[in-house]
Amino acid sequence: MSEDVYIVGASRTVFGRFEGEDHDLAEEAVRGALADAGITWRDVDVAVGGTNGETKPDNLVSRLGLTALPFITVKNGCATGGVALLTARNMLMTGNDIACVVGYDNHSRGAFNASPARYGIGDWYGQTGMMLTTSYFGLKARRYLHDHGISDRTLGLVSHKAFAYGEAHPKAWRRKPVSVDEAMDAEVINDPLTRFMFCAPNAGGVALILARGARAFDLCDKPVKLAAAELRGRRPGSFEVFSPWLSPGERTSPSIDAAAAAFTAAGITPADVQVAQVQDTDSGAEIIHLGETGLCADQEAAYARGDFDIDGRLPVNTDGGCLANGEPVGASGLRQVYEVVTQLQGRAEGKQVPGSPRVGFTHVYGAPGISACTVLTTTA
Amino acid sequence: MTTVVDETLFATLQPVALRGSVCAQCKAHVFPAQDTCPMCAGVDVSDLALPTHGTVWSWTVQRYEPKAPYRSDGFAPFAIGYVDLGPVIVEGWLLDRTDWAIGDAVELALAPAWTDVDGVVVHTYGFRARP
Repeated sequence: MSEDVYIVGASRTVFGRFEGEDHDLAEEAVRGALADAGITWRDVDVAVGGTNGETKPDNLVSRLGLTALPFITVKNGCATGGVALLTARNMLMTGNDIACVVGYDNHSRGAFNASPARYGIGDWYGQTGMMLTTSYFGLKARRYLHDHGISDRTLGLVSHKAFAYGEAHPKAWRRKPVSVDEAMDAEVINDPLTRFMFCAPNAGGVALILARGARAFDLCDKPVKLAAAELRGRRPGSFEVFSPWLSPGERTSPSIDAAAAAFTAAGITPADVQVAQVQDTDSGAEIIHLGETGLCADQEAAYARGDFDIDGRLPVNTDGGCLANGEPVGASGLRQVYEVVTQLQGRAEGKQVPGSPRVGFTHVYGAPGISACTVLTTTA
Repeated sequence: MTTVVDETLFATLQPVALRGSVCAQCKAHVFPAQDTCPMCAGVDVSDLALPTHGTVWSWTVQRYEPKAPYRSDGFAPFAIGYVDLGPVIVEGWLLDRTDWAIGDAVELALAPAWTDVDGVVVHTYGFRARP
């Protein structure tokens, strides 16, 4: 137990459109997490910060205090939050006592406009209109639904569930409920996905305070153990964004590998999980990732039964996920952890999972084919 | 003389064939051609013309106009798919219509993409339904 790492403080901003500076979001989140843990910035031994934008997380020290602490910056697309968290975990396991993790972003309106050159692809790919995340999501969802006998209508069930959770969460962005029919009948963006089946880039910040061993129990009545945090890249056979070609044969996924590694490290199985977050950049992604993580073998039946609702077998994306919160890339993975931590502590701000859940799971996934998964547990 | 978006994508233009690469060690096929093998990390890789016939592996329709660097003479929704050519699955335009099904038989073709400032029509590759 003395070497275990726990989350002892957590805070997030409201997600949405934001007019201020990116560092305002980060500072608000860090000060909130410090207050939640009952410590000050001077107590923090190491910090890890992530953003996909242009600001430098490590220069947050000019606002928070020049305490000489090591501040590491990470930038790993949608998996930035997960990478930040496991980097901090590793730094605690090498002798530090208290770490601060922060992720934030303030994206402008509209889908990301990725540059082919940054991904090592020729200009032709963008010039011919294929360098788009949204078409990738449509193409991937179409094939997955086909391979697994899942109906298009299940995509609508995902959206309906997300916005029902979002409606109840005071810090979510999209808080207007959407019926299954509304989701299905809305403007099609990239078949088979409609306007209500995509998340949008926006603004937000999340921070966590981590502590090691007995120190965690000094700081927090109900610390949440980071029982596992695993990061994996892609193998041959994965289906990633901005891929002019795919290999035929067995489909692999960094999500499959990261989830399996996390369950092994924590010594549990997917069936033990009582509250989960999976990357839902679009409705198809949530369906795919519930399968790839091992949390659900028959998504069609599970959504029809309401398995992922607050009173279902396994409540999923209980804050509305990316669909209802939007995706400030650097903050998104930490938002997932924040939500599961507050659920396990019985203080969720939106819908609270009943029955005092003790085992949680989070999954982030992103370009160019990386995934980070965590297992979070409480003892009492 | 046909002008294309990127000559390195093509093994030949008449008849049209895409230029991929194959790894001597693991036989993996890649498109566009590259001089290393991402599948087995091998470096003994050579170019070849890919098969020109295949089936639709997945598809979608691009219903909104992409931002720059996208170029066109006037946007209209167009279909994009992955086509299973056997040794490799290639992403490209699906031509002439926007309603497709997984498994549809298709063949490689050239299609006009945009007209340059000097009036030259620039072509890209796509796949059309096989008669």
